[in-house]
Amino acid sequence: MKLHIICTIVISVALMTGCVRYTPKDLTNFRNHDPHSILVVPVVNKSVEVAAADYFLSTVSLPLGEKGYYVFPVNLVKRVLEDEGLSDATLVHNASAKRLSDLFGSDSVLYVTIERWDSQYLLISTTVTVEFSYLIKSGKTDEVLWSDRRRIVYQPQNSGGGHPIAMLIVAVVNAAVTKASPNYIPLAKQANMQVFTYPGPGIPAGPYSEMYMKDMPVNR
Amino acid sequence: MKLLFVMLLLISLNGCVQTRYQWGDYEKRLYNHYSNPADKAEYLEGLRNIIEDAEGEKRVPPGIYAEYGYALLESGKPLEAILFFNKEAELWAESKFLMKKMIQVAEKTAKTVTVAPVIPEPAK
Repeated sequence: MKLHIICTIVISVALMTGCVRYTPKDLTNFRNHDPHSILVVPVVNKSVEVAAADYFLSTVSLPLGEKGYYVFPVNLVKRVLEDEGLSDATLVHNASAKRLSDLFGSDSVLYVTIERWDSQYLLISTTVTVEFSYLIKSGKTDEVLWSDRRRIVYQPQNSGGGHPIAMLIVAVVNAAVTKASPNYIPLAKQANMQVFTYPGPGIPAGPYSEMYMKDMPVNR
Repeated sequence: MKLLFVMLLLISLNGCVQTRYQWGDYEKRLYNHYSNPADKAEYLEGLRNIIEDAEGEKRVPPGIYAEYGYALLESGKPLEAILFFNKEAELWAESKFLMKKMIQVAEKTAKTVTVAPVIPEPAK
């Protein structure tokens, strides 16, 4: 009996810690390079939604700027790269961070890849999924300073007051609304907000933040 | 009752959080620009409004002057574009290198294209 209780406690504690734990990243490289500016280059898109790459670009300046970094104007950068013959994002991602930084005068480069940007329709419910991988490299040495991967899944909540027919109607309406215009932007914003959070998976505050060098002091 | 509590909580939270910069509807403007690239005038006007609001509070976000400058350049107004590339460079030291290049591009465009005279900016 006693063993049973202990087992239950051990298992539930293990489950709870599993929910909140993340592996702290080694950000020594990031701190040593101390980037003040971030060049966000056009996004590589592995989804079937062609417009997703451009749409994603509209969501990334705000969170990085608010963190205290100088973020290069994403649309200007995209157009200038196109003029340089780099309209294919895959080509840009294959270019070294050093070469890109020499072109724009940036300290670091953020490469984002859209892994998923899709909706799956079942009979009466829809699941919307976005997934991105992020990589920041030093503009001076090409070293990886930080990376992460985020997935956000959205499933509209069906609430029809518990009555089976009412619930069915709500579900059908939900599926129809989502199918007509699945809105990925709030999900992309949520992914960006989560991924850059520090302490957490993200990066420490930049030079324009009052938390600069306070949330993650220089080691040694 | 529960709903009221949640709403009050949201309102109080909203009051506490102030962003570092006045982004306005920049994200939406850029999104619309990508979903309908033909509507250049609307994008241009949107950016101008964001800048006017943000300048009033002295909280102009990084990159916005430059984006506006580039939109002006694309609309055949290189001399006006230069004004905004200069503003970006003055506000953000990190942008100086790129803005210098952009100003050179705009100057070249100004020489090759017949341009409308620069309209002086309204006093603020």
